[in-house]
Amino acid sequence: MAKDLVSNKRRVHFEPDNVDIVVEQGTNLLEAAINAGVRIYASCGGAGTCGTCKVKIEKGEVETTRTRKVSDEEFQQGIRQACQSRVLTDLTAYVLVESRLEKAVLSREDRKISEALATGWRLKSPLSKFFVELPPPTIEDNVSDLSRLLRGLKQRYNLSNMSVDFDVVKKLSKTLRDSDWKVTVSTLVTAARPRTGDTHRPRLINVEPGDTRNKYYSLAIDIGTTTVCGQLLDLNRGKVIAESIEYNGQISYGADVITRIAYCQRPGGLKKLQQVVVATINEVIDTLLAKSQVNVRHIGHVIVAGNPTMTQILLGLDPKYLRLAPYTPAANFIPPVEASSLGIKVKKRVYLFAFPSVASYVGGDIVSGIVAAGVHQRKALTLFIDMGTNGEIVVGNSDWMATASCSAGPAFEGGGIKHGMVAISGAIEKFSIDPLNLEPEIGTVGGEKPKGICGSGLINIIAGLLEVGVIGQNGKFNADLPSRRIREGNEGYEYVLVWTSETQINKDIVITETDIDNLMRAKAAMYAGCQTLARSVGVKNSDFEQVIIAGAFGSHLDIEKAITIGLFPDLPRDRFIFIGNGSLLGARLTSFSVDLLDDARRVAQMMTNLELSENVDFMNNYIAALFLPHTNAAEFPSVQKKLDRLAKDKVKRGAMV
Amino acid sequence: MTVEIPKTAYSGKIKEITLGKGDKAVTVGGETAYPFYLFEGKMPHLPRIAMEVYDTPPEGWAAAALEPFAGVTGDPVAWAKKCINDYGAEMICLQLLSTDPNGLNRGADEAAAVVKEVADAIDVPLIVWGTANDEKDTEVLRKVAEVCQGKKLVIGPVEEGDHKRIGAAAIGYQHTVAASTPIDINLAKQLNILLGNLGVPDDALLIDPTVSGIGYGIEYCYSVMERIRMAALTQQDEKLQFPIICNIAKEVWKTKEIKMPEAEDPTLGDARKRGILLEAMSAMVLLMAGGDVLVMRHPEAIKLIREMIAELTAS
Repeated sequence: MAKDLVSNKRRVHFEPDNVDIVVEQGTNLLEAAINAGVRIYASCGGAGTCGTCKVKIEKGEVETTRTRKVSDEEFQQGIRQACQSRVLTDLTAYVLVESRLEKAVLSREDRKISEALATGWRLKSPLSKFFVELPPPTIEDNVSDLSRLLRGLKQRYNLSNMSVDFDVVKKLSKTLRDSDWKVTVSTLVTAARPRTGDTHRPRLINVEPGDTRNKYYSLAIDIGTTTVCGQLLDLNRGKVIAESIEYNGQISYGADVITRIAYCQRPGGLKKLQQVVVATINEVIDTLLAKSQVNVRHIGHVIVAGNPTMTQILLGLDPKYLRLAPYTPAANFIPPVEASSLGIKVKKRVYLFAFPSVASYVGGDIVSGIVAAGVHQRKALTLFIDMGTNGEIVVGNSDWMATASCSAGPAFEGGGIKHGMVAISGAIEKFSIDPLNLEPEIGTVGGEKPKGICGSGLINIIAGLLEVGVIGQNGKFNADLPSRRIREGNEGYEYVLVWTSETQINKDIVITETDIDNLMRAKAAMYAGCQTLARSVGVKNSDFEQVIIAGAFGSHLDIEKAITIGLFPDLPRDRFIFIGNGSLLGARLTSFSVDLLDDARRVAQMMTNLELSENVDFMNNYIAALFLPHTNAAEFPSVQKKLDRLAKDKVKRGAMV
Repeated sequence: MTVEIPKTAYSGKIKEITLGKGDKAVTVGGETAYPFYLFEGKMPHLPRIAMEVYDTPPEGWAAAALEPFAGVTGDPVAWAKKCINDYGAEMICLQLLSTDPNGLNRGADEAAAVVKEVADAIDVPLIVWGTANDEKDTEVLRKVAEVCQGKKLVIGPVEEGDHKRIGAAAIGYQHTVAASTPIDINLAKQLNILLGNLGVPDDALLIDPTVSGIGYGIEYCYSVMERIRMAALTQQDEKLQFPIICNIAKEVWKTKEIKMPEAEDPTLGDARKRGILLEAMSAMVLLMAGGDVLVMRHPEAIKLIREMIAELTAS
């Protein structure tokens, strides 16, 4: 005891981390926590202004400069701001859950996608299965096999006015007899034309022996320029059974649609790219089948959504004229095509339906996303953004829609980024940075050791680096800062996110100035596209009642961070809804319901396209958006306020040091 | 019935910035209306002209451009004095041509010593202009800023790539920076924001939008400058409310239309007159677009511009 009184060493114990550190009396408690390795959140960097570094003093005494960030009640309970407290005696300090750094990174609640989904549709798949038991023919009743089948379907299910594929007839007699006149019939409908009184005329596409109604599956596939995502669907239950994602094999032939179209102009080029994407689709299907243990025989339908270039290449239609003024697609509404004829590994008589396109760069993927999100069902003025390699934007509601497409490049999907990758296991998607020592806190998809950075990770990283001043508003590194993580690499300055020993890839994972530049271009194209489209229809940012974001991000796109870098307009955060891969979602929902199939057709027809390539304002808006968050600070008032505050805090900290 | 003449609604004002120090210091900016729109607002400080001096004898100049400076082109101090004493220069712009890494590649210390000599020898404000090579300018202009501490120079071009280091030196030694961007209103604004973030005070910044002469895209420069002024005066864009400097002489006098002797193409007319008029006309276009400081070469072109300014501002 006596020794303690003369010594000025004090032991501080932190809970719930259960760590101790011995410090000099009078040491700042936040510093003690950081030195002890306790992850504590201090967004103002210890200036005392944010109130995020609260701890509860459970034992011992501190001397505190009290600020308004601690309420009377809290103060009574022994809650203090760590940064405003100095250690007097041996202590036990409990780091409040909201002050723990993990919380800031990990516990964000994803908004429920269901808020933004299409509603009012029936579970009534375009592909239907009907089981019939037919009386065998007799001399009194010797109508043809096909008539017998159709008669049975009419009697049992009241099905009529059906068209019949010739292929069905070819093997009908054998199938009926082999199966003892018990068969399952598959029919398919296509979208009814809006306002024509058109009804869904079923088309008889397959007859299988026995009752296969419980084996009733289909595929929904999003064909992106960078990735291909697929889902195996159980049509009886309206459920996803397996999901898979692969890089589009066409990547090796160019990162964007323009280079792909150019490649198609070479001899054999179109055929090559067609085969390559089919190979990717087949890989996706293999994975889905392996994961689900479903037999490929039971897949009865394929719905794909992709941009016009991807769709046309898949179908073997030369995309040449998509690229040449005046930019015309081969067809906006493509009749169903037998998937196996394209090389896709499903059985014969399985049809592929491609989502209709709007214009040469506004395709089925965006129509699919709009339908999935139910934009066409609501009066609310909506801004819909699909963040793919080609960014697509829609402004409108149930009455009208205008759309534009801008080439954002593959950065949001990890393309063109040194350590970029798609949002799969091991991709860094969460990031926060300590404003004092510039050390990062990262989180990966699936919690694995990091392998690379996905799109949402990039956004979070750039926002974080900007907020603490590691990069400037022009996206360039502030190389003078004292951190060993900021260094000069092969491609200029870079920030080390993860040291080699903590990765799966056996090298430091870094973000380079070039990466930041690429992401800035992508975000500038997206924002300038939104701005140009909105202004061309006389809409202000503040008019948007909801902003729906679709894209192949991980599930943790942080709207706040995306606004911080100037990717999305600075609107109240509760207007934003993230729906993930909208194109895949639409393909899935449409696989379940003919109602949405009809909607897709209507949506494709109601969209008016604005060509940004022909628009003089776009380039000007683009250059203005090539800044963090934007050249015109008035466009991002909340971000500017935050940056100004952080800069002030920094100055204050500098003064304290 | 009286006719009401419509007026532009202005909401902003260009910052007033003093260049140099002492009796001969010059203040520019302060406009509350478009250039020479004296019926709508004020132009408290008339546009100023800085005369060019080179730190090494120029090569390949048109005879007309050399003639007024015969005998002094080898001596920057004498050249500067001649401009002031004989041609009434109110400012000097020293072009550090000798530091060009693709040319003489003279070192920073040597170049800075020459700047210091000139600065010590004259009492009008001095603009010091590098070669727009980020690395070399960083080296040279930082040194210049240091050895000329307290002289309140204008230092340029300060570009995105070198703004941090040159900007920091300018702040430290109290000089004014000419923020230079390639003919784009957004880029101009971005650099101003970055310099502001760095700590360059609002009264120590000029915009160099990058200009060219007649026949070489001056319409484009005009339109960018005009937009900068519109944003500054009618859209309260604070980050663009700075005076504009136009380094026009070297752009005009390097063109083949000026250098070509009359004998080679008689339809172009008298070479001397042609050069002077092209410089004067280019300068006038830039004044109409919002230029506050013009860097010019030929005394007769300067005289024409002074007369024009006087006429346009006569009450």
